[in-house]
Amino acid sequence: MKSINLKENQFIQFHQKISFKFDGVKYFGYKGDTIASALLRNNINLVGRSFKYHRPRGIYTCGIEEPNALVQIISEYSEPNTRATIKKIYEGMEIESQNRWPSLENDFGSINNLFSPIFTAGFYYKTFMGPHKKFWKNLYEPLIRRAAGLGKPPKDFKGISNHIHHNVDVTIIGGGLNGLLAAKSFINSNYDVLLIDFEEQLGGIINNSNKISLIDNKEPKDWLKETIQEIEDSKNIKILKNTLVTTYNYINHLIAIEDRFVGSKPIEGKVNSTLHKIRTGHTILCNGHIERFLSFQNNDLPGIMLSSSFEKYMCRYGLAPSKEPVIFSNNSNSNSLVYSLIKAGLKPKAYIDSRSGEEIEPNLFDLIRKNDVPLYTNSQIKGAFGNKKIEKILVEDSSGALNEIKCDCLCLSGGINPDVHLFTQSKGLLDWDEKDLTYKPSKPFQPTITLGSASGQFNFDNLNSDINEKLKTFKVKKLDVKLELNTNTKYNIEKLWEVSPQKKSLWAKSFIDLQNDVTTKDIRQAITEGFDRIEHLKRYTTNSMGTDQGKISSINALGIVSDLLDKRVNEVGTTIYRPPYAPLSFSAIAGRNCYEFYDPERKSPIHSWHLKNGAIFEDVGQWKRPWYFQINKDESMHDAVQRESKNVRENAGILDGSTLGKIEIKGEDALEFMNLIYTNSFTKMKQGSARYALMLGEDGMVKDDGIICKISDQHFIATTTTGGAATVLGCMEEYAQTEWPNLKVYMNSITEQYATFNISGPNTREIMKKAFPNINFSNEEFPFMTFQFHEFNGVPIRILRASFTGELGYEIYIPSNSAPKIWDNIQSLGKEFGLAPYGTEAMHLLRAEKGYIIVGQDTDGSITPIDLGLSWMIGKSKKDFLGKRSLTRSDTIREDRKQLVGIIPSNKVDKLEEGQHIILDKEIKSPVPMLGHITSCYYSSTLGHDFALAVIKNGHSMIGTKAYASTSSMSTTGVDIVKPVFYDEDNKRLVS
Amino acid sequence: MLIINCPYCGPRDQSEFSNGGEAHVKRPDGSKEIGDSEWGEYVFIRANPKGLFYERWVHTHGCRKWFNCVRDTSTDEILVTYKLDEKKPNLNNFKSVVKTPSGEPEVGSGNFTVEK
Repeated sequence: MKSINLKENQFIQFHQKISFKFDGVKYFGYKGDTIASALLRNNINLVGRSFKYHRPRGIYTCGIEEPNALVQIISEYSEPNTRATIKKIYEGMEIESQNRWPSLENDFGSINNLFSPIFTAGFYYKTFMGPHKKFWKNLYEPLIRRAAGLGKPPKDFKGISNHIHHNVDVTIIGGGLNGLLAAKSFINSNYDVLLIDFEEQLGGIINNSNKISLIDNKEPKDWLKETIQEIEDSKNIKILKNTLVTTYNYINHLIAIEDRFVGSKPIEGKVNSTLHKIRTGHTILCNGHIERFLSFQNNDLPGIMLSSSFEKYMCRYGLAPSKEPVIFSNNSNSNSLVYSLIKAGLKPKAYIDSRSGEEIEPNLFDLIRKNDVPLYTNSQIKGAFGNKKIEKILVEDSSGALNEIKCDCLCLSGGINPDVHLFTQSKGLLDWDEKDLTYKPSKPFQPTITLGSASGQFNFDNLNSDINEKLKTFKVKKLDVKLELNTNTKYNIEKLWEVSPQKKSLWAKSFIDLQNDVTTKDIRQAITEGFDRIEHLKRYTTNSMGTDQGKISSINALGIVSDLLDKRVNEVGTTIYRPPYAPLSFSAIAGRNCYEFYDPERKSPIHSWHLKNGAIFEDVGQWKRPWYFQINKDESMHDAVQRESKNVRENAGILDGSTLGKIEIKGEDALEFMNLIYTNSFTKMKQGSARYALMLGEDGMVKDDGIICKISDQHFIATTTTGGAATVLGCMEEYAQTEWPNLKVYMNSITEQYATFNISGPNTREIMKKAFPNINFSNEEFPFMTFQFHEFNGVPIRILRASFTGELGYEIYIPSNSAPKIWDNIQSLGKEFGLAPYGTEAMHLLRAEKGYIIVGQDTDGSITPIDLGLSWMIGKSKKDFLGKRSLTRSDTIREDRKQLVGIIPSNKVDKLEEGQHIILDKEIKSPVPMLGHITSCYYSSTLGHDFALAVIKNGHSMIGTKAYASTSSMSTTGVDIVKPVFYDEDNKRLVS
Repeated sequence: MLIINCPYCGPRDQSEFSNGGEAHVKRPDGSKEIGDSEWGEYVFIRANPKGLFYERWVHTHGCRKWFNCVRDTSTDEILVTYKLDEKKPNLNNFKSVVKTPSGEPEVGSGNFTVEK
């Protein structure tokens, strides 16, 4: 294919050369070129290999509908599957073809084409079945994945994207003739309007073809310039260029992607794409139409392209891909290509039309006759032939004789379809037009208006009245635009879906979907095999799947299916055109919500101290908590945890408990409210005392626990688990608003306002005395489960005597800003008493030794307080509280419920593991009756052996008996079922 | 994504809200003796109609207020939102409800983009 440059083009700057590389070879294009137009300028048409058969493929279109020319851009962004027909080149751009090895010219995978008679629809489903299901995962799938596929994903995530939200009255999608006219009528109106076009220049058909000769008696170019200026000057209209609307969601919510680096290399660190999220009152779709092709043997050869695309290359890019293309059409849309060629001093090598002489438009006839273009009416192309490019075609003329025509380019037109993708995404209904042979928008589901060819108006006769009628709900100016056309014709099409090949051959292929390598034969086979519903057929053959979503392929397939089934196309229906309209990069969707902004990290006020002191962190919800502290690099986690826990038992330890949820509850009716929310009764509780409390769901299951401090009947402070803070506050708010709105009570989260230090161990009292010399920490003055407010160096603090380790312990609540200083002070004062920090793992070990549960670890939403042996916490005399009635449901009073018990190995040297099943027999004969499982398990250096908490059926009555713990990975171990408390059962250490 | 008209803050994006299931489910008075089945009905059983539905929402990332609404579960259209202490609207007032996109049967969902 020899292309020529048509000088004089307003969009291409012929004086500005741009160099780029394609598969390692350097070429030149001009400023304004797309990859495709630049390659065509260099007479390159073989640009890729097809998905399945690795057939040579060229540039088929000049727009977003391109199924073949998908390339990889080698840059720091390494963009795969870029449509060569829309991506603009820039200086130094490196492009690679895809899906070929070792080279595009000599592709090993093209061997598939030889075996193609067996690679028909359903080949993979039928072939790669046995002998074992492991074969698929380990052998077939990796092999097939390597052989098929498109580009390579980038290794690094370098793209930066912004998200912008818009809230407008009207969004006009498409800045072609109709979009501009619609925008023009909104000029200086009271509506906020967004006009979105996917190209750099507004104008659509005015720029892309020679269809229109005069608008309002002006050259279209001049009219366009004036109109765009008027729209730009209007304060109520915003224009987004280089922006593609990909998604039309419910409630007129649109997603559009803007390319910020068109025709230039993305700058590292700069935003390279913007994702627009648009809320609009009305959407006006002016996104035009897409031309479809025709199916005949080898209709995929490089050198074949759509006729309107050829015209677009001429008008928009100043380039004729070939000097003398052959045109094959069944409709009037290709008339303007003939006109454009002749206007440029070129001439089609032949014009072939499946319509009869009477149906062909008289002015096209005149044009062809006057210029001596060979004309074939009532004729069809039986096949195209050539080696990696089109060399000749075989035409069957009206008499049935075969004519061979040598050519280097073939332009096809199989009719045009309104671009209904966005309309169907909006859930609008389509209707088949028997005359124009295409689906057209019928009933909108949302406030959606379609104009121009997007609505199926392929002629310009009713341009003004159509727009005025459809925009009459708005208070806008009426339009009166005069249009004159170069090829004055009404759209006319004759039904032709497929031309059967001249010779029946297993290798003859007429493609219906170029991107997914689906042939008309595949469609036939699928129907023969019973896949005659269109959605089944789509999946079985992969027709119109992938990024193409049936842009140029789907209507032809529907036509063929309707003929085969002898049904009307409306009865066959259509598959859903799914969003996004064109591929959208993950980096654009992610926007700035990545890396440190992907999920916020919450850090305690002491975090920087932890970092300096060897803390290894654990994620608890969004919080970073010290898991354990390494005193040197060689210390293992097991050693660190045992050291920390031993130190708490023997000396003293300090834990950063700042992440615990803290909720302040105030109000006249706070006492009544707390009595309703928690299981415990707070009525008789003294001011200044604290209580361990449980919160249930209405189903009676434990949802959260914490310590409630009663400051007065009108003022409480509750702690929650670290992960449950938001849920507990949400639950309190819900019940305060929905069930007990009569109660005067208010609640607020104070989690981040206060840091919490938990100090515990036998030396704690000495440390506290040193740290807070003015406070009396004696057992009489400061008993267990009481709290006091103090001021320390001008800082208001609250000290609560409580413990989660089983040792003497205090919790200090300090305003976050003052916390680090006091923490440092306690660290240095505590040294002489052996004070050391401990992490969450040691805390878990210590609490388990005492049999204290962790909600969410030892409970799972199916455990009641009774199952936990915590009946004493239930305020039975209270009239009501959350979940009270559920504690006497038939299910919750069942005898064989799973209950919390302790487990120790019968042979003390045996190991236990979290998640192990507890069973009765050592012999494993399936099915094995399962009693329950281990919920927490640790090695205790205090006890000298492993121990565990478990929930097992009828557990409370099984205490004192023996059972077995079992997993598939370890040998079955004999265990003793014991009370869930392993250390200081009488709480002597706690209360003295 | 839906736009929800918070009775306190006005129309906002759905991402600011959380759904709270069926509205106007009365919590039985805990101080009275009630049977397992009545209590079970309250705890476990909720309606799940196709069509108009009284529903609770909370403006989680906003004013944190609970409110009620009437939503058409087949189209997702929210017809009205109202405060908790307001009377529930009569469903018969919503006759001009938009039909599902495809006019599909009452049970199940269809996939018809084509007008028949």
